[in-house]
Amino acid sequence: MISMGRVLPALCAMLAAVLLVPAPAGAQQVTLERDSPLYAEPRLDASQVTQLKLGATGEVIGKQGAWLNLKTAGGSGWLFSFNVRFPSQQAGAGDSGAGSAAGRLFGPRRNVSVTSTIGIRGIEEEDLRQASFNADQMKRLEGYAATRQAAEQGARATGLTPASVEYMDAKK
Amino acid sequence: MKGLFRHWITAAVMAAVSGQAAAASLDLGRIFDVGRDLRTATASMDENDEIAVGREVAGRTLGAAPLVPDPELQAYVNRVGRWIAMQTERPDLPWHFGVLDTSSVNAFAAPGGYVLITRGLYEMLDSEAQLAGVLGHEIGHIVQRHHVKVMQQSAAVSAGARVVQRSDRGLLVNNLVGTGAEVLARGLDKSAEFEADRIGVVLAARAGYSPYGLVEVLHMLAARAADDTSLALLFKTHPAPGERLTQLGDALAPRVAALPAGKEPAIRRVDPNTPPPAAAKPAPVEGARALQQQEEGGTTIPSGGSSLPGGSGILRGIFGR
Repeated sequence: MISMGRVLPALCAMLAAVLLVPAPAGAQQVTLERDSPLYAEPRLDASQVTQLKLGATGEVIGKQGAWLNLKTAGGSGWLFSFNVRFPSQQAGAGDSGAGSAAGRLFGPRRNVSVTSTIGIRGIEEEDLRQASFNADQMKRLEGYAATRQAAEQGARATGLTPASVEYMDAKK
Repeated sequence: MKGLFRHWITAAVMAAVSGQAAAASLDLGRIFDVGRDLRTATASMDENDEIAVGREVAGRTLGAAPLVPDPELQAYVNRVGRWIAMQTERPDLPWHFGVLDTSSVNAFAAPGGYVLITRGLYEMLDSEAQLAGVLGHEIGHIVQRHHVKVMQQSAAVSAGARVVQRSDRGLLVNNLVGTGAEVLARGLDKSAEFEADRIGVVLAARAGYSPYGLVEVLHMLAARAADDTSLALLFKTHPAPGERLTQLGDALAPRVAALPAGKEPAIRRVDPNTPPPAAAKPAPVEGARALQQQEEGGTTIPSGGSSLPGGSGILRGIFGR
């Protein structure tokens, strides 16, 4: 018989490990886009570690939902992720952005074959203006349609649970 | 009474479109189409018109870039997309999702349920939650009829032809769509893009995903160089990703504690045996389009018309004290 007293802390530790996704190796330097508090925990009502100024920098050491775990000169804590910007990648410096700091944090983690965009011309404005109907491709597209049942089955297999969430208004 | 009858017929036509009704409903649909007041009909498109217009736009977009030749991938994106679309007020539109075989980074929505994402964008994604955010944004455009509204404003300029169009859905569609898939090249009002971002976050959350997949994609886009040619069209037709992040952050901040954490399942990769996309070749001008070009006659679309508070004022925002 396994006691709950032993299992529960272990479960909590596992849950914390799952929730806190560590950033991959390599420093992800970000810059504050606006003055923002750095919180002790990823919550707006958590205590503030420090108040960071527009233009301050920090190193991303993890992410959780809307939050980034930052190491800054004023201490470590959690910052609302909307309030930072990642350094801009030079054009042609990487294949599909996977090499940028943002790409390393949010982009494909596994070693995947990312389509090289260098030297390959994609669709541009003029291509759309000049495009004519492709009946064969439309037939293919229509053939791939998913029924409600197939969509529900897929969601169940992935472990997705629908949630009730109201639409949002723009900030007044 | 007339109104009730109309609604009943519309419902029957919608059911026919979703493949659930018998042939009898289609006959009723035809009677309705012929009998409907021409003046009213030109003022507002019904759902079948919307679907016909969207199919034309999507078919032309597929003329600019074909689908990635990976049937499993296409079926997967349709399951994910349909699941998200089922969380909207229009769950039974004929929803279609496709991954376009082009290195460009973009996603498109055409009216009536057609959503296309480019391979260039798809391969930037790391999770199904990020895909859900992108698809949710496009689904938001369709649910809110953003492109339909722009097309109607455009077509209203050539009002003279409208009564004729009513007798022929093909003519109506051609007049509304214009040349090629230019409606997708023109883009929408900034406020429509910000609204679609907010909807994308909500729909991903409703579908059980992390609400922040779209936010991560916007961060990645914001970090791409402004002169990166694979993003030229996306950057031309959308507000800057940084501005979108700011707007979305401001709208989301009061809700962030209440939003469910959701899941971040792995995304299905493009089959590694699929060859990289070929370079796009502009399509030659052909007969059907010559007619549209005649009708084009210098219509102008209002774009970027909404003036939003920009600059340092809004940057102070909620967390700035």
